[in-house]
Amino acid sequence: MKNKIKAKGVSVFYGEKQALFDVDLNVAEKQVTALIGPSGCGKSTFLRCLNRMNDVIDICKVSGVIEIDGENIYDKSVDVVQLRERVGMVFQKPNPFPKSIYENVSYGPDIHGIAKDKNHMDEIVENSLKQAALWDEVKDRLDEPGTGLSGGQQQRLCIARAISINPEVILMDEPCSALDPIATAKIETLIDELKSLYTIAIVTHSMSQAARVSQYTGFFHLGKLIEFNTTDKLFKNPDNKMTQDYITGRFG
Amino acid sequence: MNSILLATLVLFAISSFYFGRSKIKKVALVRSIEPKALPKFYGYYQALWCSIPAFLIISFWTFFEPIILKNLIESRIQSMSLNELSKDELNLIYSQIVSFSQGTFTGQISNGIKSGVETYQSLLSVSQGAKIVLFFCAIIIASLFSFNQINKNVHARDSVEKIFTIILFLSSAAAILTTIGIIVSLLFETIQFFTKINPLDFFFGLNWSPQKAFMSDPANMTAQEAKDLREAFGAVPLFAGTAFIAFIAMCVAVPIGLYSGIYLAEYASNKQRKWGKPIIEILAGVPTVVYGFFAALTVGPFFRIIGENLGINVSSESALAAGLVMGVMIIPFVSSLSDDVINAVPQSLREGSYALGATKSETIKKVVFPAALPGIVGSILLAVSRAIGETMIVVMAAGLAANLTINPLEATTTITTQIVMILVGDQEFTSAKTQAAFALGLTLFVLTLILNFIALRIVNKYREKYD
Repeated sequence: MKNKIKAKGVSVFYGEKQALFDVDLNVAEKQVTALIGPSGCGKSTFLRCLNRMNDVIDICKVSGVIEIDGENIYDKSVDVVQLRERVGMVFQKPNPFPKSIYENVSYGPDIHGIAKDKNHMDEIVENSLKQAALWDEVKDRLDEPGTGLSGGQQQRLCIARAISINPEVILMDEPCSALDPIATAKIETLIDELKSLYTIAIVTHSMSQAARVSQYTGFFHLGKLIEFNTTDKLFKNPDNKMTQDYITGRFG
Repeated sequence: MNSILLATLVLFAISSFYFGRSKIKKVALVRSIEPKALPKFYGYYQALWCSIPAFLIISFWTFFEPIILKNLIESRIQSMSLNELSKDELNLIYSQIVSFSQGTFTGQISNGIKSGVETYQSLLSVSQGAKIVLFFCAIIIASLFSFNQINKNVHARDSVEKIFTIILFLSSAAAILTTIGIIVSLLFETIQFFTKINPLDFFFGLNWSPQKAFMSDPANMTAQEAKDLREAFGAVPLFAGTAFIAFIAMCVAVPIGLYSGIYLAEYASNKQRKWGKPIIEILAGVPTVVYGFFAALTVGPFFRIIGENLGINVSSESALAAGLVMGVMIIPFVSSLSDDVINAVPQSLREGSYALGATKSETIKKVVFPAALPGIVGSILLAVSRAIGETMIVVMAAGLAANLTINPLEATTTITTQIVMILVGDQEFTSAKTQAAFALGLTLFVLTLILNFIALRIVNKYREKYD
């Protein structure tokens, strides 16, 4: 299995406080890698390092090396805008723009000049919505505001928005935590389908979700990566005592 | 007199507080019962009972005493007089009596008035005496009553809280009632005005020269004078001037204010924001009269000199100068409000945009700004309503001549300027010219009210969306 992302010795500081300690972790190409752990363990911080979303926060400093296809994304020559074009992200709370459903999806292709003409844009929007399993529900009301959809639909709209610019990697930061079980099930099915096209890293609070959707799982605790293994191994026969305690619900 | 009584009352109230507080402790101790509230509430209870009835008596007395005295004196004068006196004559005699007894009248007075003065002074002293007696009676009776209540261990906190609620309610009612009073008085004078001048002539007439109306005698007007009067109060030049100057002001304030708001909200570091925002808000506190003479003495002449050098005729009072300075005045208003509105756009929307590889300016232009747009429109409307209500700058820098022009280099005038011009100095309150000021005032009031109403609706609607 080829590794798409290789992280070596990643540490993150928020001002004086260190949030992540020397994390080494690989994300396999066209697989789903789940990051689990109790609140505040650094799993979301690590995820946000992968598309340099932490740059937005002034006091945040990242050290170490993160390579995507062998290129260090923290290298000075790397353009953050281009990096984020390759590494898309879906957030915890659905955050559609206060625009129409169509414009929500066409936003990315528009700013990157991907679409050749109006027809091509229509095609991209339709394909993205189809991939996000939302097309049938919204095809007759593409002009309506994206904020008017239900929570689960909004999150699928955000996924459609992320894949509209055809990224290589999709990062998902607890994408189902604000959704009900039925919407969650739809998103999980969707993640399973998307992994044939994209490399996916997902942060989740729910261990059963990690077990259901991922092939690899990393367990974080207090800013350290405690164990990284295939999902199967980690949940059935973990190497580390702490992982064992966490997945059996003894703490966290 | 009243001030001494009030000072006494304050002293009584303060000592009542300590008295009531220690009283309940003693009652609780002696009879070994649990007080129904904290001791300080019994202090407030005692103090409020001591002061409120006495204060009400002073207020009523001060309000009604002159009215009653006046009626008594006037009826006596009427009965002494041989022939029927008119209301104005009675008023005059009464005010002579009052000013003589206060020692401020220095002319000759007749015997009749002299006896009036004596009656007035004896009535006054009776009234004052009665007031003092009642005042102390009220303090004593009310204090005894509350003392007795404390002895019975009443629910002092409930009563005290209720009284504070009533005081707060009365304060807010006072603000609303005053506004209603202003509207009613404006409305009354405006109706008077419109009985003389056709509203159509006022709202659609193109010629504003109210001094014409001042010259003619309404009783026997010639046809020409009547025509002049009709044509004197066409307010369109004022509306146009107001709108024009407000427009120039907004041309300055909206772009600069908006951009500075965006900078503060999106680009400025925390430190810059911490310093910059208060400084901009201080600008909003500069008195408008200061802006006014800046416009009149610096900006206006500056434009005229430039105009002379270019061979253009620029009057030293111009719409441009007034509008520019007014725009500068409004910048902090727009900037501060739009900064707030932009800050209210959730961070998650920005992150969503960044995650798609959008740059900062793309994010602001395509996501943040559209999301904040309703709020920004609301803040601009609020700024417009300030611009059209602004007075000092236009009085000093825009000119007085009611030109119907769209040349920004000429003098123009506004609704507010004309109100000032009409009401400065001695005025006949029944003349159409004076009443025109009220009609203008009401028009202005309604205009700004509508603008504010729309603006607040938009801002509120927008707030609901993200909370």
